[in-house]
Amino acid sequence: MKVQEITGMNYELTEEQLSIRENFKKFCDNEIKVNADALDREDQQVSMKILKENIRKLADLGYLGMGHEEAYGGTDQDLTSQAIAGEEVARACASTFLSAGASCGLFGVPLRMFGSDAQKAKYLPGIIKGELIGSFGLTEPEAGSDAASIRTTAVKKGDSWILNGTKTFITNGPIADVCLVMAYNDKEAGPAAGVTAFLVDKDSPGFSVGKNFDKLGFKGSPTSEIVLEDCEVSEDAVLGETGRGFIQAMQTLEFGRIGMATVSLGIAVACMQEAAKYASERKAFGRLINRYQEISFKLADMMIMTDISRLLIYRACWAKETGNHESAVLASCAKLFASESATQISSWALQVHGGYGYIKEFPIERLYRDAKLGEIGEGTSEIQRVLIAKDVLSKYAD
Amino acid sequence: MNFGLTEEQQMFRETVYKYAKNEIVDLCEEADLNAEFSTEIWQKLGAMGLLGLPFPEEYGGSGADVVTCCIAGEALGHAGVDSGHTLAMGAHTYLCTDTLYQHATEEQKMRYIPKLATGEWIGCMGLTEPGAGSDAASMQATAVKKGDRWILNGSKTFITNAPVADLCVVYATVDKAKKHGGVSAFIVEKGFKGFSTGKPFHKMGVRASTTSEVFLEDCEVPEENLLGEVGAGFAYAHQTLEWDRSALLAPYVGGMMFMIEESARYASEREQFGKPIKKFQAIQHKLADMKVTMEAARLAVYRVASLKDAGYPLNHLQASIAKAFVGDWGMKMASEAVQIFGGYGYIHEYPVERMLRDAKLAQIGGGTSEVQRLIISRLMAV
Repeated sequence: MKVQEITGMNYELTEEQLSIRENFKKFCDNEIKVNADALDREDQQVSMKILKENIRKLADLGYLGMGHEEAYGGTDQDLTSQAIAGEEVARACASTFLSAGASCGLFGVPLRMFGSDAQKAKYLPGIIKGELIGSFGLTEPEAGSDAASIRTTAVKKGDSWILNGTKTFITNGPIADVCLVMAYNDKEAGPAAGVTAFLVDKDSPGFSVGKNFDKLGFKGSPTSEIVLEDCEVSEDAVLGETGRGFIQAMQTLEFGRIGMATVSLGIAVACMQEAAKYASERKAFGRLINRYQEISFKLADMMIMTDISRLLIYRACWAKETGNHESAVLASCAKLFASESATQISSWALQVHGGYGYIKEFPIERLYRDAKLGEIGEGTSEIQRVLIAKDVLSKYAD
Repeated sequence: MNFGLTEEQQMFRETVYKYAKNEIVDLCEEADLNAEFSTEIWQKLGAMGLLGLPFPEEYGGSGADVVTCCIAGEALGHAGVDSGHTLAMGAHTYLCTDTLYQHATEEQKMRYIPKLATGEWIGCMGLTEPGAGSDAASMQATAVKKGDRWILNGSKTFITNAPVADLCVVYATVDKAKKHGGVSAFIVEKGFKGFSTGKPFHKMGVRASTTSEVFLEDCEVPEENLLGEVGAGFAYAHQTLEWDRSALLAPYVGGMMFMIEESARYASEREQFGKPIKKFQAIQHKLADMKVTMEAARLAVYRVASLKDAGYPLNHLQASIAKAFVGDWGMKMASEAVQIFGGYGYIHEYPVERMLRDAKLAQIGGGTSEVQRLIISRLMAV
């Protein structure tokens, strides 16, 4: 049997992608990373001011518009390019990545996919410029991993919709100008046909924001409850069609999973770099600690796991982009591996620092706290495993 | 970036997969139990053109690129072929014959490659020595020029295919003082005076690929059987790393796919506490982790292959990552597969028992996991 000369597979980044990496690396090191500790530690007023500045700076660089159409000020770039830029932002400051991502991604992406021209024109230019901040309201106190069990309701009243319920763990809640709220308009119809997504402005009557949660990590990215008490919005607040909200949310979360994988990767790379730097400066028993295999092999494991995470993320981006039938499960694989690697790496990296890793003088203490979110946000590790196993079993064992 | 296979590649994969399922897989278990090289399987691999994949047609090969070589290995592993058959194939094709193809004279190529590429002859690579494993530069075997012959002395060990090989590419030093720079490569036929092989080792896994020592006792090699330049041998041996980190790892990736399928099937058939064990999350989560490992390993291996096809020199960081990941994560995965099968996984009746034993080699052969970490940490420090 003869095999033809074949080409097809390609693991190279394009020139443009390489220059995106360079530009973002330089910019984020100079402009974003320097404020990461302040953002983590300062009181809410100061830190939110820094956060908004960071978001506007990234908007000036074009970051918030990478996934959006040119008509609204975006540059419409591929998902891999977005992941490349995102890794650099997250490496510099995970909180900034999360807030920017909740605005242009979790809020912006479903708007791009399902919104009317009028809705897009109303919000997207502001989101892309960093002048408006968006948030995504799905999770509720009793509905996290099991998102279909949300209780928020929407009732049609004349030309308006009346929303009632409470959302929680809403990234950007305290600073968002607009929130995409998922609510049951028809409980009987079930999640697949009875949930609708609404674009709710912060000054809508009956809309209020809870206090900023004090979190383990990501302290620079504000998170709160959102309370809807007879909150009134107009008919044109409905995103796409009524009854499509749950499907829209699930499709958005596929992007969100790639995003959470990306922020985990950025944190992991930052941990690795901090550990490698410290190990090349710190001496013990007469020599640099990176000369000990206990340390250098840990660094090697960090390299293996970050590199593999990146490959899984790029593959998930490619699969989503090309409409591959495995795109959902590959996003879960990337998210699961990258987030669990990040917590493992952050723990090793802290260990490499010894006592200095345990105090706030070195950034590793913050990175260690930040890393944990990856295993929880956008579907816990447990949920990812359930989804992946379901996929495997459906192929070979049903 | 593009992670897909072309239509041709998919067809080729399908053909190899089906052929292996129909013709080879059933023979593997017995070969493993007997710990014997199977001439029957070897001939079947040869008949399919799998023993000379990367060589041009004029030498009896198929002209395949590296990705296609990986696809062949993956398809064989996926079908359930192993116990060392892909290792025998890999040592022969990529470590022995390709070294000839890269560095031999036209005359040497015409003399040897057609025989090797069809599988008529079996090849091996004689590099590792009892005192030089991970540290290959400390080689002791010597070569001295005497008239029109080279006289080789020394011993080699852990030589895959040696007991059945017709030809061995032997590495020996012409000047120990020159360290790497003294190492030279020789094409040694099994009939050459002073060449012999030891008894096949009893191995934990990959039992159907035979492995032994090679002895060189005043072994006489005609001068025209010097391979390439005197003193360039270490570089030649080093070049085989490109295959070690791609086509030789691909069958493990295929094996991971096979393990997932077998485990998923078993989990849906086996009942405990009144329901199939696939209904228990503890089992589901193992399957999920296996899937992640397989996808990741596949990416790491094909990256090395694809970039080699694109003409890049080997990226040692990426190569070592592929080797360490397939080795260490693959071992963990095989252990979990056995765990899903419980007591049945511990006996020979189910293939996962064999796969766990086979998997261990990937942490050792072709550079241990520790050596990969050494390389990675050195490259990180630059």
